[in-house]
Amino acid sequence: MFDVLFAGVIHGSAYALVAVGMSLIFGVTNVANFAQGSIVAVGMMTAWWLGTTAGWGIVPTFIAVIVVTGLLGLVMNVAVIAPLEGRKPIAALLATIGVGQVLDNGLQMIFGPQTRPFPKLLPTYNLQFAGVRFGTSDVVMVILAIVSMLGLWAFLKYGKSGQAIRSTSQDPEAALQMGIPVKTIRNLSFVIGSVLAGVSGIFVGLFNANINPMNGGTIGMTAFVAATIGGLGSIPGAVVGGLVLGVVEAFGISLFGDGAHDLITFGALLIILILKPQGLLGPKNDVKSEPLTGTFLGGGRPIELPWWGNLIGAVALLATPFFFSDYLAGVGTQVAIYAIAAVGLTMISGSAGQTILGMAGPFAVGAYASALLTTQAHWPFLAALLAAGVIAAVAASILTFPVWKLSGHYVAIATIGVGAVMVAIIRLAEPITKGSLGIQGIPFPKVFGFTLYTQQMMYLLDIIVLLLTLVVVTRLRSTHLGRVFEAVGSDREASEALSIRTGAYKALAYALATFFAGLAGSLLAHQYTYIDPTIFNSNMSILILTIIVLGGMNSPIGALIGSVILIGAPELLRFATDARILLYGVLLVLVILFRPQGLFARKA
Amino acid sequence: MKTSIIRKALAGLVAAGTLLSVSACGLQGDAANSGSGSDSGDTVNIGVIYPKTGQYAEYGKLFQQGFDLAVEKVNKDGGVKGKKLGLKYFDTQSDAKQDAAVAPKLVADKSIIAVVGDYASPASAAASPTFQQAGLVHYGFNNSAPTFTETGDHVWTPQIGQDKYQKANADIVAKKAKKISVVYIENDWGKQAYQYFKEEAEKNGTQIVYESSYLPDSTDLSPILIPARDAKPDAVVDIGYGPDGALVINTLRDKLGYTGPYFGGQETKEFLDLAGKNAEGAIITGSFSATGTKDAKAQQFVKDFNAKYGNNPGNFEVTAYQAIIDLAYAANKTEPTREGIQKGLQTVTDFPLYQGNGGTFKFNLKNRRADNIEPILLIAKDGKFQQYEG
Repeated sequence: MFDVLFAGVIHGSAYALVAVGMSLIFGVTNVANFAQGSIVAVGMMTAWWLGTTAGWGIVPTFIAVIVVTGLLGLVMNVAVIAPLEGRKPIAALLATIGVGQVLDNGLQMIFGPQTRPFPKLLPTYNLQFAGVRFGTSDVVMVILAIVSMLGLWAFLKYGKSGQAIRSTSQDPEAALQMGIPVKTIRNLSFVIGSVLAGVSGIFVGLFNANINPMNGGTIGMTAFVAATIGGLGSIPGAVVGGLVLGVVEAFGISLFGDGAHDLITFGALLIILILKPQGLLGPKNDVKSEPLTGTFLGGGRPIELPWWGNLIGAVALLATPFFFSDYLAGVGTQVAIYAIAAVGLTMISGSAGQTILGMAGPFAVGAYASALLTTQAHWPFLAALLAAGVIAAVAASILTFPVWKLSGHYVAIATIGVGAVMVAIIRLAEPITKGSLGIQGIPFPKVFGFTLYTQQMMYLLDIIVLLLTLVVVTRLRSTHLGRVFEAVGSDREASEALSIRTGAYKALAYALATFFAGLAGSLLAHQYTYIDPTIFNSNMSILILTIIVLGGMNSPIGALIGSVILIGAPELLRFATDARILLYGVLLVLVILFRPQGLFARKA
Repeated sequence: MKTSIIRKALAGLVAAGTLLSVSACGLQGDAANSGSGSDSGDTVNIGVIYPKTGQYAEYGKLFQQGFDLAVEKVNKDGGVKGKKLGLKYFDTQSDAKQDAAVAPKLVADKSIIAVVGDYASPASAAASPTFQQAGLVHYGFNNSAPTFTETGDHVWTPQIGQDKYQKANADIVAKKAKKISVVYIENDWGKQAYQYFKEEAEKNGTQIVYESSYLPDSTDLSPILIPARDAKPDAVVDIGYGPDGALVINTLRDKLGYTGPYFGGQETKEFLDLAGKNAEGAIITGSFSATGTKDAKAQQFVKDFNAKYGNNPGNFEVTAYQAIIDLAYAANKTEPTREGIQKGLQTVTDFPLYQGNGGTFKFNLKNRRADNIEPILLIAKDGKFQQYEG
């Protein structure tokens, strides 16, 4: 009992340390930095290399890590984040995802893929309390978390640069007029945030003991959850959030087993958001500009083709299965399936202006619904396909229902939780879904008694569904309902003033989007013939969102183009085997920097 | 603006038309249109789908060492029916999405006569239907999931089934302990393996006093290992991979002060490095021991491997090596074509066996798995895994 609590506190302070840096950057720059975890990994790997290969001690390693990650933060801000100044913060968020991919894969290329022991820069496991051993390293970590919290707080409150940082975050224009060098101050915030990340990398390394260059993603996501629980932007909140998450996880896991880990982590996130939307210690007044909402470039308008242009496009697309090779058709099926989900997502994230970060959830529900209906209940494929869409929409709507009363970016964060919780439930509902074992022997799609057994046939089916999706979504956009979605997305307050219930319309747009994600899931399941919960991970959610960012958030045809590029690109980049995913991240950053409205939209 | 769109559309149509006239195929797929058969080139290839990058890249590296050495040996011994044997590598990160996307590319390449891989069963299974439909043998040499070969008659695996591994595992555990705590990795492999383990443990009358799964990316397992320790077991059993196995034993020994016996870990340098001294005495089931094997050709393999890479091969390297040797053997007994490989796997009854006790093996035609490969026991001693007689 007591030992579990104690283990939870130690793990929680590791979360807290990372969360502090995340909350700082969010608080002062309004950027949800998804690369923060990767910077932690940079600090961790730098310390590993210096501590083992170079044989340095803790002090020089500490200093070196500060220098390396500080520089990295500066470069990241100057090269990627600062140029996005003045655009919607969602641009910066997506750019940080790209930077994270570059860093993660860069680390793997430099240091090799294996998991390795972290050098014992400080004594570990030399002390004992309540049946749990811990080390000087853990003590220093806890102290560091508290000191960095107090130090930052004092710095922001009383320090001259600290005050400048705060005024910059409150009103950059006014700060500039008061003679504050806003650019330098922004650089400073990023350097501080990165250094904190790097330093916490050393302690996370010491705590985890076994480390891998690819750890950044998980570290960042958990820290983000911790920071949100505490109240994004609040530095004491980050520490409290980290500790609470650590302790809740420890008790939850010791009760239900680690198989329920994701359910506990993201379930805690959802419950806290619903009960206390600003987090435990979050500022009462919500941030004015909502960092995770809004379309990518406020006034970006999708390029509209004339009707015959669309027709020619559709005919050309329908012709492709007839002359594509197996390989091209195989890639085509993946492109089309992701495009279906992405086209649906433009309804909610583009039109209604609500970023959704958890589309893998409804995608998984659709896949499982269809797989179970055909294998267990022996439904015909087409009926199961439709049912998959409906079931995904119903399940997603029910789980997301309490979320719509939240405001702004908390909805987007909650969708991360909803997505993860849906997959976690699928994993745990073993009697129905076979859990981690996965479902095998899902039949190929059978349409009117004819089994689609080649890549080309399945590709043709995918294209037909995709075209139907495009028609429905484009038609919807020009209806009254579509206009209401647009209104909700472009000005929430004005819509409320017109007595439009924005939450309800967002929920409806979301339900429509998840219907199409369910269809995509069903098509995927019947093509793979095997599914298990690991297929529907957070990378899938981010991928679907990135597709519409690339194509143009509110452009359905853009979503198709985005899918061609993002799903096709890893295949095209096959020549550069090692650097493949790294190049993919670079591509994402470049598009956001140089064509922010998306490929298939024009600037307003 | 409009004219440029028209122009683009026209260009697209012209391009489409050209492609159409060049290869008017319809929807039947490449195989149906090109009269499948042997290529006239003097090299035939084995396609490899494997994780060169991503979270499983470590295993990809071990596999590649085995593959490369095997191809060298096959070609030194005269290739396959006079043709040179080559490898074509495709990085999938062992990610189902990428496996499904790349599979048709292998099918389309007529020089590829069989496919080996992938590391993880879900990824492998996402590619199987494509190979099955194209009549290309999918040799999932690392896929011990018991349902793996159910996709069709072209899907094979020489991997010892988890049912056998876990029976051996539970039997050795029963010899040493009456009460045990078990933790296992929460994925398709771990779940299935634990089911088999539990069945056998129940038969043996071993009492499982605590059980829990853990997610592959969890970094702190003390919340499950504290109750596992507090249940006062005679031994702790972990069914998992290398890095997580090291995390389990390190947490038990360093953090929770557990000193009893431990069954778990993996025969990789990674595990031994990560667990260090804590690995000492860990017992696992495996299929191969570089120092313990008494089979002459396996000893030669160990020697060759050492000469090329400077260390002893483990289970991952030997299964990869053996996969290529098996397929080349099948091709030499029939012919180096897709049909030849399939026929070879069905008819040849004396595949050279490097694992277990050596000798030869054949396939069971009902489930396309190798029946007579027996697992062996390994114990970590002085920083190395050695064969253990129980």
